[in-house]
Amino acid sequence: MDAKRIEIRGMDKHYGAFHAVKDLNLTVEPGEFLVLLGPSGCGKSTALRMIAGLEEITGGELILGGRDVTHVLPKYRDIAMVFQSYALYPHKTVAENIGFPLKIAGASVADQKAAVLDAASQVHLEQLLDRYPRELSGGQRQRVALARAIIRRPAVFLMDEPLSNLDAKLRGAMRAELKRMQKDLGVTTIYVTHDQIEAMTLAHRVAIMRDGVLQQLGTPKEVYRDPANIFVAGFMGSPPMNFVTGRSTRQSIRIGDHDVPLAGLSVRDGREISVGFRPEDAALCDPAEATLTAEVFIAEMTGDETLVTLVGPHDEHLIVRADPDLQIDDGERVGIRVDPDRRYYFDAETGARLRPDGTG
Amino acid sequence: MSLFTPRRIGQMSLGGSLITYALLLAWAAFVIFPIYWLVITSFKSISDVNAGPVYLPFIDFQPSLHAWKDLLIEDWDDTRRAYVNSIIIALCSTALSVLVGSMAAYALVRVTYAPRFSTILLFVLSLGGALAASLAYGVDWRLAGAVAVAIFVLAVRGLGNRFAATLGNGDILFWMISQRILAPVVVVVPIYMMFQSVGLLDTRTAIIVTYAVINLPIVVWLMFDFFNSIPRDLEESAQLDGATMFTVFREVVLPLSKPGLAATTLLVMILAWNEYLLALFLSTADAQTMPILVAAMNAGERGILWWTMSAVIVVMILPVLVLAIVLQRFISKGILVGAVKG
Repeated sequence: MDAKRIEIRGMDKHYGAFHAVKDLNLTVEPGEFLVLLGPSGCGKSTALRMIAGLEEITGGELILGGRDVTHVLPKYRDIAMVFQSYALYPHKTVAENIGFPLKIAGASVADQKAAVLDAASQVHLEQLLDRYPRELSGGQRQRVALARAIIRRPAVFLMDEPLSNLDAKLRGAMRAELKRMQKDLGVTTIYVTHDQIEAMTLAHRVAIMRDGVLQQLGTPKEVYRDPANIFVAGFMGSPPMNFVTGRSTRQSIRIGDHDVPLAGLSVRDGREISVGFRPEDAALCDPAEATLTAEVFIAEMTGDETLVTLVGPHDEHLIVRADPDLQIDDGERVGIRVDPDRRYYFDAETGARLRPDGTG
Repeated sequence: MSLFTPRRIGQMSLGGSLITYALLLAWAAFVIFPIYWLVITSFKSISDVNAGPVYLPFIDFQPSLHAWKDLLIEDWDDTRRAYVNSIIIALCSTALSVLVGSMAAYALVRVTYAPRFSTILLFVLSLGGALAASLAYGVDWRLAGAVAVAIFVLAVRGLGNRFAATLGNGDILFWMISQRILAPVVVVVPIYMMFQSVGLLDTRTAIIVTYAVINLPIVVWLMFDFFNSIPRDLEESAQLDGATMFTVFREVVLPLSKPGLAATTLLVMILAWNEYLLALFLSTADAQTMPILVAAMNAGERGILWWTMSAVIVVMILPVLVLAIVLQRFISKGILVGAVKG
């Protein structure tokens, strides 16, 4: 089965007065792994369910491999989906669960058996074919759901938070397997998650959504290094980006006792500007040569680094990555020096990114 | 830490398990005694019943087959007729109401209905108008009906869209259940007159139809909850796997609903089996059911025939016992374990 391109053109979803997905435009290239990322309630699952055909598309078009499937029943879309709940049939054995799509398609018993064995071996389930879902662990159930999705060789995979019911360790392992499997099969995949680590590690491209609106579409590196707005900047990264806010005066921003220069930005005086910087782009230093000063709230040693949480000039929490051997006392007053090339400026009211070439 | 932790009987001390068994046996005896009393009373002679309580056959009293002889030989025709009637009526009415009711319940769970309030109101008004015209003013009912249908269709198309208020599945479900809130005795006279006018009094058909309708809300109510407990993901997953709605129902919903269907069937069948009031109105001789026969035992000229009544009741509870034993293996919990999450 050749991988197919998915084109989403101006897709809308209304539930009565509630506008769940707003004018979504997105093209997923054949064989691409696209992650829809956003907080809960942002419309990402609704978008996925519309692509699957489980929700009616109230506006716009969905083109799958060149065919308009906007109003086509799910079963004619050649799509397989892995649900967050796995949705295994409890009265069927593992083999019957995996083989169900082929049984529906009317494949011969011999073909079904061969395909089930093949799919089961891809997810290492050969030993468990006669078990029932209730006799399996969470990770094994997840594998059954995956095997059931791949057995039909669909044109498109849809995954709705497939790893969120697993414990942290298993999740990491399954994530790697999933990425490898998608690469080997080369199936166009849309994956929904609220976990930005999953998005960063799995995706070819990430689409970040908020309140039903697509915020930014780009490679993981692009959305991390070049966020389109304050929401994307704050959502990507763990720990997240730090923000300090101040009023602009004469090409700088007054933050506490310090003036942070507005490098190359032309901004009217008196505007609220948020300056963002990532924990790894800042360092602790002597208050005299600092970009801003703050008070140590707590220091946490994680092994290869120390995460220092500080309280900034406006009582905001700021996190800086530091050396694991750092010795520092709570309540100590320190300076933070931020790499001048790694500062991000945002309009504090609209959240829009302010760029040197843009207008202020 | 609770005061008592549950333990298996094998883990108990000898004294503990003896006490446990003694308590369980005492409770079992308490529960089973009425049935035991029925059975021995059916074997007692008239004088043994009248003389006062005797408990143990062959010790307290000599068993006699006179009641059974009355029931199975002298009144065999009556007994057989009532028994056959009861079985046919219970089976048919249960099958009908479970079939129709579970389909309705499934539709209410999985299909969103939004009937317009104005449409329902127009329908009722048109129907009322047609009835009034034909009953009060002597208009031919065919003419009145045709005019009412025409007015209804035109009015719905013309006015329907102006009033947006709609009802939902919850309203439909409540309406169904509300049909059962009213005691059946309220409608027993209209039902009697209705069957009288179509000439179906004292037929099994009349009782089957009535029971099926009376029990329908119970089936819808129970099965609605049951279908609702089946995760929607399962059905959506099957849809994406290529199944039609009917295949989804056959492959996923039906196997998972066995416990609910079994419990509902059992309950509805027992209700139909025991029903007395409607059967009393709707049957006079040919369609008489077992409860009527039992009641007849205490209305004779010879006073209350405890012995024969006991024998009839013993015969009457046998099928229900068998049914419960057959169905109870379906009524097991935990069939949905492993479907979602874990």
